[in-house]
Amino acid sequence: MTMWFEDINDDDSMELGQYCFTQEEIIKYNKEYDNQYFHTDPELAKHSHFGGIIASGWHTACVGHRLMVDEIKSREEAMVAEGMIPGVSGPSPGIKKMTFMQAVRPEDCISYKLTVTSKRASASLPGWGLLFSTIIATNQKGEQVFQSDVASFSKMRDFKPTLKQRFAMWAVKIPLFKRLIKR
Amino acid sequence: MGNPVTKDFLHFEDLHVGQQVDLGKTKVTKTMIKTFALEFDPLPFHIDEKAAKASLLGGIAASGYQTGAIAIKMALKNFPGTLASAGGMSITDLKWKRPVMANDIIGGTVTITLLKRARSKPQWGIVNLDFDIKNQKNQSVMIMTLNNLIDVRNPEIGMEAAS
Repeated sequence: MTMWFEDINDDDSMELGQYCFTQEEIIKYNKEYDNQYFHTDPELAKHSHFGGIIASGWHTACVGHRLMVDEIKSREEAMVAEGMIPGVSGPSPGIKKMTFMQAVRPEDCISYKLTVTSKRASASLPGWGLLFSTIIATNQKGEQVFQSDVASFSKMRDFKPTLKQRFAMWAVKIPLFKRLIKR
Repeated sequence: MGNPVTKDFLHFEDLHVGQQVDLGKTKVTKTMIKTFALEFDPLPFHIDEKAAKASLLGGIAASGYQTGAIAIKMALKNFPGTLASAGGMSITDLKWKRPVMANDIIGGTVTITLLKRARSKPQWGIVNLDFDIKNQKNQSVMIMTLNNLIDVRNPEIGMEAAS
C-alpha cells in the first residue's frame, strides 16, 4: 500500500497486474529451486496426475510479490509527481496461510489482487503498524489458483512516541543497547 | 496404475512422523541476493548498498521469498530419496523471524509432523513438513509448514485407518 498506516482501511484493494507464465521460465525457476519432474520435465510430467508441466507454487507466490513491488513503486512515483509524500511500507513478518488451489501451467496468465483485511499497531515496533492483506490470484478462465494471507509493516504518519519509546528507539541505534535489548 | 517415474521414490508408507532431515548449508552471497531480488523483489534494501545501509536492516538482506525458495531447494536435495510428491496444497504459519544478510550461511531442518491418508483420494496421503531455517549463529530466520500431497504405494491397504 502506498498510503500511510492511518489512511488505510479494511477492504482497500489494489490490482497488482497480470503475468503470463512461459514453459521456459517455469523450467528455469524449478531447475534452480523446485527440481521435481512435474516442474522441470515436460515429457515425464505427462505421467503425473497434472498431465503436464506446472509452475512451483512458490514461484507463483514470488511472481505475485514482484507485481506488488512494481505496482507500489509506480503508485509512489505518481504520488511524488503530484507533490504528495507516499506512505512507507516495511518488511513482512510472515504469511498466515498460502493456498495453492489450482495448477499454474505454461501460457497461463495470472492476475493478482491485494485486499486489506485488517490492521493494528505493531506491539514490537513503535511507530509502525501491521497490515493484514489477502492476495488472490486468478487465471485467464477466472479460476482462483492461489491465495496468500500476508502481514506487512506500514509506517505511521502521525506517530508521537512517548518518552519511554523515544528512549527505546534511540537506544536501539547504539550497538551495546541493541545487544542488551535483544536478550 | 503405477507411475513409472515415481516407482522408486519415497511414498507415504516410507515416511514416519518425527522423521527429521538436516538441510545442509547454503551460503547466501550478495550476488545471489541481488540476482533473486532483481527478478522477484527489487526493493532498494535487497539490491542497493547505500539504501540497504540506511534501512532498518543495516545492510543487503535477502528477500524472504528467496529464503523460502532456498529452503525448498535444500529440502528436495537433502531428503534421503525423492518424494513421490503429488503437489503442494498450502503453506501455513510462515514467519520471517530475522533477516538473512549477505554471506550468512543458512541451514536447519525439516521435520515430518503429520501423515494422514486423504479421505476422498485413496491414492494420496497428506504430509506436513515443518521447516526451521537457521543462520550460522543458530538463530531461527524462517519457519513454515508445507502441507503436501504424497502418493500412496498401496492405496487399497489401510484406508480404514484413514482419519
